[in-house]
Amino acid sequence: MKALTANRLTDGDVVFWKDGQWVERFADAQLWADDDPAAVEAEGHGKAQGTTVIDVYLIDLIESEGFWAPLSYRERIRALGPTNHPHHGKQAEGGAVVEALQHAHGAARSTGRVNLIKRK
Amino acid sequence: MYQYDTVDRQMLADRTAEFRGQVARRLSGELTEDQFKRLRLMNGLYLQLHAYMLRVAVPYGSLNPTQMRKLAWIGRTYDKGYGHFTTRTNLQFHWIRLKDAPDILDHLATVDMHAIQTSGNCIRNVTADPYAGATAEEVDDPRVWAEALRQWSTFHPEFSLLPRKFKFAITAAPKDRTAARVHDIGLVLRRARDGALGFEVIVGGGMGRTPYIGPTIREFLPANRLMSYMEAILRVYNRHGRRDNNYKARIKILVAALGTEEFTRQVEAEWAKIGDSVDLPDTELARIRGAFTRTGFETLPARSEVFEAAKASNPALARFARNNLKPHKKPGYAIVEISLKGIGETPGDATSEQMEAVADLAERYGQDDIRVTHEQNLVLPHVKLDDVAAVWAGLHAAGIATPNINLVSDIIACPGLDYCALANARAIPIAQHIAEKFRDPDRAEKVGELKIKISGCINACGHHHVGHIGILGVDKKGEEFYQLTLGGSGAEDAALGSSLGPALPYEKVADAVDTLVDVYLRERQDGERFLDTFRRTGVTPFKEAVYADAH
Amino acid sequence: MPTLIELKDTLARTVDDPFTHVADGDDLATGDVIVSLTRFQADGERLLSEGRRVGVRVAAGEEVEALAYDLPRLSVVALDFPKNLDGRAFSNARLLRERYGYRGEVRAVGDVLREYAAFMVRCGFDAFEPADGASANEWQAATGRYRHVYQRSADDRSPAFVERQG
Repeated sequence: MKALTANRLTDGDVVFWKDGQWVERFADAQLWADDDPAAVEAEGHGKAQGTTVIDVYLIDLIESEGFWAPLSYRERIRALGPTNHPHHGKQAEGGAVVEALQHAHGAARSTGRVNLIKRK
Repeated sequence: MYQYDTVDRQMLADRTAEFRGQVARRLSGELTEDQFKRLRLMNGLYLQLHAYMLRVAVPYGSLNPTQMRKLAWIGRTYDKGYGHFTTRTNLQFHWIRLKDAPDILDHLATVDMHAIQTSGNCIRNVTADPYAGATAEEVDDPRVWAEALRQWSTFHPEFSLLPRKFKFAITAAPKDRTAARVHDIGLVLRRARDGALGFEVIVGGGMGRTPYIGPTIREFLPANRLMSYMEAILRVYNRHGRRDNNYKARIKILVAALGTEEFTRQVEAEWAKIGDSVDLPDTELARIRGAFTRTGFETLPARSEVFEAAKASNPALARFARNNLKPHKKPGYAIVEISLKGIGETPGDATSEQMEAVADLAERYGQDDIRVTHEQNLVLPHVKLDDVAAVWAGLHAAGIATPNINLVSDIIACPGLDYCALANARAIPIAQHIAEKFRDPDRAEKVGELKIKISGCINACGHHHVGHIGILGVDKKGEEFYQLTLGGSGAEDAALGSSLGPALPYEKVADAVDTLVDVYLRERQDGERFLDTFRRTGVTPFKEAVYADAH
Repeated sequence: MPTLIELKDTLARTVDDPFTHVADGDDLATGDVIVSLTRFQADGERLLSEGRRVGVRVAAGEEVEALAYDLPRLSVVALDFPKNLDGRAFSNARLLRERYGYRGEVRAVGDVLREYAAFMVRCGFDAFEPADGASANEWQAATGRYRHVYQRSADDRSPAFVERQG
């Protein structure tokens, strides 16, 4: 699976594509199957929005036990916030999804393959 | 502190006005990101993982309390209430909004601060001895020359699109606290037998992908010829440094490729042609020297009874004094180091409240003088021994009286993958885990001087090559691994560390350091530092202990 | 054809370019031409003997030292800024002005951007072919943004250390 991410121009915040809009939570991100041409199409639309976002790119996700997570550690940190300040970044918001994220995070460390977000 | 005059202030005003216009053109869509990126980078504004990062220059690591308070205020107003002091002695804010950046630069300019040349392929902030003006070791005050270099390098028309970034270090003491031999140019002030001032000129040191200890290309450059000689070096580099490969573009590669002798010949030939027209006249050097606020010292006994009594009744103060106080050139004074390496904290981070506490203490007890060290700590260079107990109490109340300067928990770490877009692995949590292992201050003191330096990628912002123990984060198929090196030094006995063995996974690193320290304690002979023991025994006993489990 | 901006006495204006840039394989046209260093070394004598005005285009990796003895005969030295923010032309320009005392036109060609206009002027450039579409007004604004300079260069601006002496 794939998701589309970028940083917002005005404040640099990490955002994700959802149905033509940019949303702040990975939990809300639109997901595509690896071979779905809609992903590349969305990437093209995103890249055309040069006064809204910068550094638009697709990220790879992996699925396991009903959870979805970015494949790379870097992308997981972008989706959560810095690990040295648990109250900074997106993780600070709290709530069930973030708790799930943080819980999964510990397991993420050495494997690089984690299930951060429950889908469905 | 160097006092800005009208020229210096108008230079900043012109810069902030220019940048405000550039940001407006970007937000309106007139500039594309490609066009804008190089402009924001000229103002130290990077895009990191979670937000923009603004790198504020702290020229040669020197701050006054007003500036420190402004940094605290900016941290509170525009960031999350803190800032991060770097190995370039700059201050980074990690949660900046692009739309706020012009206002922040305006606020900085009100206290004579800026972000000029804190990124880009230009001459960056100069590192200077944080004990400048306070240590008896120095032959002159290196800040005078650092300020001269700051002015010369600011908007230098010929050297603003170099092959790669360019970093100076300058010290006037034989004990090197600037890592001069791993800078693009390291300058060591010396006095000749006849009293004349001059510089030993070291060129082509560096870390990163291809680390080098820089060779000396001139033993003694007359001090008043500094600018023309630097111009000659930079011109040879600008013309001949590689531009085809970013990883081979630093001056160290040019020096190594040409050989020290040929590089030196080219510099000397260019210097002879340049002549002295770009050198600063003695009157300007005298003006710069005079523009530094004069420090006034009282005549005091070398021993403070007040301080001795306070130490006797307060073991925590005594421990702080053992580790964080350094000898001052004047009797009855001390240099006080403030550790930003609290156990479990992020190395180099200071909260706005902590910055304000340091500003207050500097104002009350420290002649308005604050320094930033390349080891990510702060210094109050001029404190009366009589006042040390009060300074300690203030630091203690602010949570920054950690008594661990130069000890195993005084760890350098870059921001790493927690923030940095270039990083491959995290550095901060590794530092935290190691520090936790040495939470017991008696044990840390027993271990003695041990410099651990951690980088989250090969660019080596965490100076891992010159750590007594160096730790480099690498990515192996999405997992964080760490390569350890031993025996590096960034001081006057500069050396590059050598590899310990195969990379270790994240959760094994702190244990491995623990093991290395145990081996050292077992092997060490009288008075040896970790580094000395390693140099005597070589890597074998350390390697055997760390990888014993693997067999 | 790119716009040519000329800077005289801090005044920038758009001018008609009397010179034709001639690529290495191309015909030498007629009239005043700017040719590469290699081409000049082959055909320079002939061009000059025809009474034409001649300019030489010097690539970033080439050194103006190669022109040392020809400079008095050259009307233009065009210094190239390749993409990727390559500052070698700055050094070439300063050498032309300061070391060889060249008085003819020093023209910036290639990836010529207004953000670096002030540096170019300080290094001795006095003609520009902007790659970013900058107008003469924008170019002039870009060169005059800073009231002070800290160091001596190839222009006649007084550095701060001279200003301060009053």
